[in-house]
Amino acid sequence: MKTILKIALGIIAAIGGFLDIGDLVFTTQAGALFRYDLLWAVVLGVLGIGVYAEMSGRVAAVSGRPVFDVIRMRMGFGIGLVALVASTAINLLTVAAELGGIAIVLELLLDAPYSMFVVTAAIALVLIVALLPFGGIERIFGYGGLLLFVVVATVFHQNPDWGDVAHGFVPSLDSSALYLYFVVGVFAATLMPYEVHFYSSGAIEEGWTEQNLKENRLNAILGYGIGGILAVALVIVSGYLFHPIGVEPSDLGTVALPMQGAFGETGLLLALGGILFCVGGAAIDSSFAASYNLAQFLGWEWGRYQGPRKAPRFTASWLVFLAIGVAVAQSGINPVEITEYSVVFSVVALPLTYLPVLLIAGDRSFMSDFANGRIATFLGWLYFAVIVVLALAAVPLLLITNGGGG
Amino acid sequence: MSGTSRKRVRSQALGLLAAALLLTSPGCGDLSNDELNRGVESLSALAAQGQLVANGVARDATKTTYARAMARTLGEEAEHEAEKLADATLEESETEDQRHAAVAVAGEISDLLSELQTFPGDERHGELVEKHLEEAQEKADAIVAQLSGDAP
Repeated sequence: MKTILKIALGIIAAIGGFLDIGDLVFTTQAGALFRYDLLWAVVLGVLGIGVYAEMSGRVAAVSGRPVFDVIRMRMGFGIGLVALVASTAINLLTVAAELGGIAIVLELLLDAPYSMFVVTAAIALVLIVALLPFGGIERIFGYGGLLLFVVVATVFHQNPDWGDVAHGFVPSLDSSALYLYFVVGVFAATLMPYEVHFYSSGAIEEGWTEQNLKENRLNAILGYGIGGILAVALVIVSGYLFHPIGVEPSDLGTVALPMQGAFGETGLLLALGGILFCVGGAAIDSSFAASYNLAQFLGWEWGRYQGPRKAPRFTASWLVFLAIGVAVAQSGINPVEITEYSVVFSVVALPLTYLPVLLIAGDRSFMSDFANGRIATFLGWLYFAVIVVLALAAVPLLLITNGGGG
Repeated sequence: MSGTSRKRVRSQALGLLAAALLLTSPGCGDLSNDELNRGVESLSALAAQGQLVANGVARDATKTTYARAMARTLGEEAEHEAEKLADATLEESETEDQRHAAVAVAGEISDLLSELQTFPGDERHGELVEKHLEEAQEKADAIVAQLSGDAP
């Protein structure tokens, strides 16, 4: 009974912690610009993150090796270093965007200067990490993120044409560059590399072994799968409200407008609260992912469970990454713009993260009976092919569309 | 490769890089018809977003801090768009009238949002701002129609 409860709580936390600022921005913009036409891209991304999170969690549980350890082991020092530099740069942009996101929500709730809240947010995160155990951090932000189920309630309140919504789940052939840019953006926002870096390192932080493989599978498939419902709901509410009147969401605050329209101030507060927990959790995940990667690559002692005394370089690097995130967020660049760049550039680095995971998870000499079966192998390679195509298309599409500006 | 060829390749690469930077830098060069069109479309989108915020105020269905901060952000964006449109040199001089009209609409949207920022808890103001933003959006849409040749 205790185990079932623990698994259920983990799944709930994964659902609530599914969205980050990249998902919030790209799904809302996708709905506003293309109504329900990109729902299929959300589903494609959610299945992809489920497949790869399951693999990376399984590798971590069976071998005790997190993703970046695997990258260096499988790809060697040179390619590993390229992956480290690329993923660190993207993680730093993500940390900055998430910190900026927290500051925007606090500004909307308390109406004080944005710059003050960036620093406040960083200090709050340091205190939370210092005072709470690893599982507690994950769960607080995961459960808080569940407030965003107000988006699902808004869908039913709006009662859209369900035939049109269903049609959106069928991939459509629109060859415009802007449409393709948003396919890349929506897909990439769901598969941000920091998510698997954090997921696999978190598995080791929590001491997962082969005994936890069922929990891993349920977290990755059910947690991310049901979490994906939130992303789908965001596209629908945005497509329903923003598309017909020509709103182009350029601010994080705009994401909450459909919920205000449906449920007034209560809907607005639930949405802003949910966004706050989601971006707060993602700020911790992405900053930890940056430190995990560096420590694992350089062979340092790492892990929140070790504490600052046993893992001083890991802890110091986390604080430095957070400080860099604060500096970037304070630079005056709109966090939504930082998000767009971090998401699109992350696509380019995706193959470097996902190929080693796929190779190791399928390696019977390394994983023995826990290596990928036929379905995981098929899905893994299928997604890897999609990732490579999108990685090649991402930067040209970013330039052609002027960063999604048309 | 000889030293001279290396220098030539390097200077060609620098030239290409400079050209690429010039082409991709925002604010450089003349404002094309398409860019003017996109600028006015952005104004229409800002007015639409502003209407939703004002509607929350009019219905007493929002939080004043949210309405104020959103109005401030959207107002700043409208102002920025107005400055961009006013400062740019047009590629096609026959769209000068549309550019002037767009700058005026941007100013109008910015003023209305500024009013909402001042009175985020006043339902009557919310209602008026919503109505006027709707009119501003119609004006922006009319300019877009003229620029794309769809106007009657």
